[in-house]
Amino acid sequence: MASTPAFDPALLRRYDRPGPRYTSYPTAPRFHPGFGEAQLRDAAQASNGDPIPRRLSLYVHVPFCMSPCFYCGCNRIITRDLTRADTYLTRLYREIGMTAELFDRDREVIQLHFGGGTPNFLSPAQLQELVDCLRRHFLFSSSPDLDLSIELDPRFIDPAGIAALAKVGFNRASLGVQDFDPAVQEAVNRIQSVEETRAVVDACRAHGLRSVNIDLIYGLPKQSLEGFARTLDTVIGMRPDRLAIYSYAHLPELFKPQRQIDAADLPDTDTKLSLLQLAIDKLTRAGYVYIGMDHFALPDDDLARAQERGSLHRNFMGYTTHADSDLIGLGVSAISHIGDSFSQNPRDLPSWQIAIDEGRLPVYRGMRLDEDDLLRADLIQQLMCQGEIPVAALERRYAIDFDTYFADALERLAPLAADGLVRHEPGRILATTRGRLLLRNIAMCFDRYLDQPADASSGQPRFSRAI
Amino acid sequence: MNDTAFPRIDRRVLADDGDALNFCSTCAFSQACLSQGMDKSALMDLHVLVEHVGPIHAGDHVFREGDPFDAIAAVRAGTVKTYVVDRDGHEHVLGFHLPGEVIGLNAIDEEHYPCNAVALDTVMLCRFSFPKISVLATRVPGLQQHLFRLLSRDIGNAALLAGDWTADQRMAAFLVGLSRRLAARGFSPDRFQLTMARTDIANYLRLAPETVSRVLKRFQADGLLKVDRRELELIHRDQLEALAAPILRH
Repeated sequence: MASTPAFDPALLRRYDRPGPRYTSYPTAPRFHPGFGEAQLRDAAQASNGDPIPRRLSLYVHVPFCMSPCFYCGCNRIITRDLTRADTYLTRLYREIGMTAELFDRDREVIQLHFGGGTPNFLSPAQLQELVDCLRRHFLFSSSPDLDLSIELDPRFIDPAGIAALAKVGFNRASLGVQDFDPAVQEAVNRIQSVEETRAVVDACRAHGLRSVNIDLIYGLPKQSLEGFARTLDTVIGMRPDRLAIYSYAHLPELFKPQRQIDAADLPDTDTKLSLLQLAIDKLTRAGYVYIGMDHFALPDDDLARAQERGSLHRNFMGYTTHADSDLIGLGVSAISHIGDSFSQNPRDLPSWQIAIDEGRLPVYRGMRLDEDDLLRADLIQQLMCQGEIPVAALERRYAIDFDTYFADALERLAPLAADGLVRHEPGRILATTRGRLLLRNIAMCFDRYLDQPADASSGQPRFSRAI
Repeated sequence: MNDTAFPRIDRRVLADDGDALNFCSTCAFSQACLSQGMDKSALMDLHVLVEHVGPIHAGDHVFREGDPFDAIAAVRAGTVKTYVVDRDGHEHVLGFHLPGEVIGLNAIDEEHYPCNAVALDTVMLCRFSFPKISVLATRVPGLQQHLFRLLSRDIGNAALLAGDWTADQRMAAFLVGLSRRLAARGFSPDRFQLTMARTDIANYLRLAPETVSRVLKRFQADGLLKVDRRELELIHRDQLEALAAPILRH
């Protein structure tokens, strides 16, 4: 999968339809309230029972942001009241205590990630205290590939803050940039200078962080090819180890902040595609490797290496090199993936707080994967990470006859094969260079739930478009 | 937790249910009966046809210590763990019973079950009422012998783990033992699922749970086997056999 994706505007336009991003399969809209605390406890206990229990990945959600970015579709709370962090942390510590008790003490933590919101809404001292608390309750791996990563808003941290985070042990940072074009920044309410961003990147390097990621978004209001080209050149000049180029999904009915965006300012589909093409061209010419979905990395970055080895994995935090871990999500709205289960904490702060204050694990929905879910999840995982469906391996592993079992899916896949997105080879189905930007569309053929409505209370699941 | 019948990998050779004329493919008694020239239809004439029980779900008990002993059962699918609880409330795992194996034998000379039996995954049983099987034993001379053979194998398993063996030897003997027992019933000897929890294996082998994982990790690093969650692949069974040889010789 190390080749550059081919860019065919007509094809991409045709396949630009709503679909899940497959950070999980089944996707979150399939989670149901029948999966609660008791089920989560069972899942954790069963995961401890594996002969070699999986290592653990921890995700901590910090929901607060100082200032609202209009494009945001994340779960976040806008406030400048820093004391809200303290009350949040009090609950978080209790949740950490309750959750840690579910897992055998010899289960090593190999990855810790802070997402948001804006994790650096918390001060370096608060982050230190939080990591200390986690280290008291969980056994952190002493292995050099322990990942401690954090998403940062460069507008609210300075080089001294980065030095403090490095001391806490953070070795990866992911910086939000989106676009440096002043017109775009104004339209999305996120004014962020090149200088303050570069200062943070330089500080990460100076203090020994292993890897720096920068997030960009294409499809934002007022975005132009000239402006985005300048942004790309500037960002490439900073030489981040990883780059994510996300597609902006304008779903104002779903995400309130997006109602501040004037739809008339959004680039049309052709411009959006040209923005993506521009990004792919510039990044590949600058030596970046396409990892999959929205992600690029330098060839010597762990992600690119893992992909070469076939050990790349994808979860709620994006691509990761830690394939064989159970994921524990902590904080409001966080999602866990333990054994054969998914579970999610309440998405609103009051429900999460009440559960913890009552001494309950704050899980409000989830699901237990059955054999069919596990098989399809495995298939989609391989497709998203390695760009191929390992037919022969899946047949062996799940004792199925692939063509019989997936007769429906293969029928749905046939037009994609005719369009040259996939190629059937002995023992595998390969995403071609044309198909590499459309992995979601290929995966959708194998999604059993796509045509079924999600549970009645949440209505029809809504997904962003493919491009 | 796992609702899939054991061993999942070999679904295609999983026990068939038999019918009025044919024994189930994993029947623990077919060998004894067939060698005496009795087929299933002959057994039917004796009105001692076995009763199919199940599915029994993971965590549910087949019987509990002290329950009146009235039947022995053979596992058709799944795994049954037998255990006792000592005066201090500590559990002691006595054994794991795989498809084709019999549970309840150690109760034969008592009126009550002397241990607990719990399903580790979805379990299907064949149940023989004990009075009936006694009648049957008078008609099928080989049956009693066969029952005693099964019984002594049970005791043998327990004895070999009591010796002064290293953790590596115990683990190897455990895996080779499972492999041989599965192979004897037509399942793959090299790929199977460990339906028992790590704590159960540790308890049975008299090891700490961390030690179970440590030994398996080392075996994996040495290329002897591969573990993926509960699924196990023995890559160099010969080397495991060699490790286990001192125990298995006893």
